[in-house]
Amino acid sequence: MANQTAGNIKLGAFVLSGLFVLILAFYLIGKNHNLFGSDFNIRVRFSNLNGLTVGNNVQFSGIQSGTVKKINMINDTTIEVTLSIDNKFTSYIHKNAVASIGTEGLMGNKIVNIVPSNLPSAQVTEDDLLIAQKKISTDEMLQTLSKTNNNVAVISEALKGTVLKVNGSTFMALLNDKNVSGNLLASLQNLNKASANAIKITNGIDDLIVGIKNGKGAAGVLLRDTIAAGNLQAAISSIRKASDNADSLTWQLNNLARTVNGHLNSGNGSLPMILKDSAFAKDLRATMYNLRQGTDGFNKNMEALKHNFLFRGYFKSQEKAQRKQQAVQSQ
Amino acid sequence: MAFTKNIKAFLNDTGDIAGFAGQFFSTGIKPRFEVLELLNQCYIIGYKSLPLIGLTGFIMGLVLTMQLRPSLVAYGVESQLPVMVGIAIVREIGPVITALIFAGKIASSIGAELGSMKVTEQIDAMEVSGTNPFKYLVATRTVATTLMLPVLTVLGDAIALFGAYIGVNIRSATSFYLFFIQVFRSLSFGDVLPAFFKTFFFGFAVGIVGCYKGYTSSKGTRGVGSSANSAVVLSSVVIFFIDLLAVQLTDLLGLN
Repeated sequence: MANQTAGNIKLGAFVLSGLFVLILAFYLIGKNHNLFGSDFNIRVRFSNLNGLTVGNNVQFSGIQSGTVKKINMINDTTIEVTLSIDNKFTSYIHKNAVASIGTEGLMGNKIVNIVPSNLPSAQVTEDDLLIAQKKISTDEMLQTLSKTNNNVAVISEALKGTVLKVNGSTFMALLNDKNVSGNLLASLQNLNKASANAIKITNGIDDLIVGIKNGKGAAGVLLRDTIAAGNLQAAISSIRKASDNADSLTWQLNNLARTVNGHLNSGNGSLPMILKDSAFAKDLRATMYNLRQGTDGFNKNMEALKHNFLFRGYFKSQEKAQRKQQAVQSQ
Repeated sequence: MAFTKNIKAFLNDTGDIAGFAGQFFSTGIKPRFEVLELLNQCYIIGYKSLPLIGLTGFIMGLVLTMQLRPSLVAYGVESQLPVMVGIAIVREIGPVITALIFAGKIASSIGAELGSMKVTEQIDAMEVSGTNPFKYLVATRTVATTLMLPVLTVLGDAIALFGAYIGVNIRSATSFYLFFIQVFRSLSFGDVLPAFFKTFFFGFAVGIVGCYKGYTSSKGTRGVGSSANSAVVLSSVVIFFIDLLAVQLTDLLGLN
């Protein structure tokens, strides 16, 4: 009898432990599927569920918060998904939260991700409709990738042609030429020297500028000496006065020229008569002719006077005195 | 000719087992019940099988994990190892392996026990003494196997999952809590309930086949050994057939 009782106790413990494990498993699975505890429903409308089924998990900001409760086809492009969310998430989910269909891991089950928005909004209530975000499907990604691949193929083909052209060009020959490198080296050395000279020149200019700043040299005096600047200002003022006088003179000359020109054009006075009267010119020419004739006659009379005995002695004494003066100069 | 004879023998056996099962339902589960004998059989069949089932379950979980690991590593989804092992153990391997081990231990013992009682005419003596041998021997053992195998399977699954946890931790490090969460997050009632319910049928098959083979034993002590052997073989085959039917049924019901 004692053995029977001990056996029964062991059997009872055995069965109870089995039941405990079974109930624990059921509880844990039920908890994961929100079977225990209160929950509320929210709805989301998608155009494509990408394989989402009833019972799939719902995550709010990456936390397991509920399951997909019901899927209802509204029309050919709209499918309404009812989500059963644990009540403790009610205070965190707002009406402007965005729902999207994602995947657990790389190849796992489909899930609904609810992501909160940054903008303020009221808390979600029973049967609210959340905004759905369209998820880019793998097919769409592959289509885009296919286009990109085609573009890459075209670009690589063009690049290949360009590279071949560059490879056969004189530019590459230039790059491969060893002499060029030597010349380039020499040029660089020269450039180095030139830059060293440039530094010297710069230093010289620097010194010069320092000198000018200190008032050394003409430029220094000009730029820095205040007395010289005053003198220069006075000189410039004098030049300006002289310029003004010259201007006045020019103006007067201009008036004179204008007056003369007016007189010339009007023909009044003696000068226009000289310049413009043709009869007067003829008379003047005849007068000049008579004057030349008279001068010739006078020369002849003077020559005759030299040979006259009355004046011959005077002219001979003049010649002797002249010869004496030349002899003294030659000695 | 021999083939036809075999077919006939097979059909005859099948018909006899069906009749035996019918007798169980018609007379075995009607009052008055042999409760004390049932509890005794539950203790022997259930409790005393636990160490064997626990050991095999532990090794099964450990080995399965270590065998699955390289494939998952090759796919870069090593983190899914608890999920894979959990689903495999709970849905299929746990119930079937437990039932097979159970068949190996219990069906043979029932077959040998009832067979030896049959050939030594103890069953006839029992009948003469006014005790219904079918109720006392067959009904109690069949009910005990039917009730105990589900309990053993649940405990065996738990031990196998612990073995899987050890297996995961041999090469990498996972906390027990994370392992536990990962396994149960991937499981649904559609995984657990069909697997649990089919173990009742496995248990019933083991009990009824073992009892039938022992109860119909003949040809002396040689027949006892034959009964024990054929009880194991037949109950194992029946377990696989029931498993096949169960998977079809769960598929039809949309639980897969």
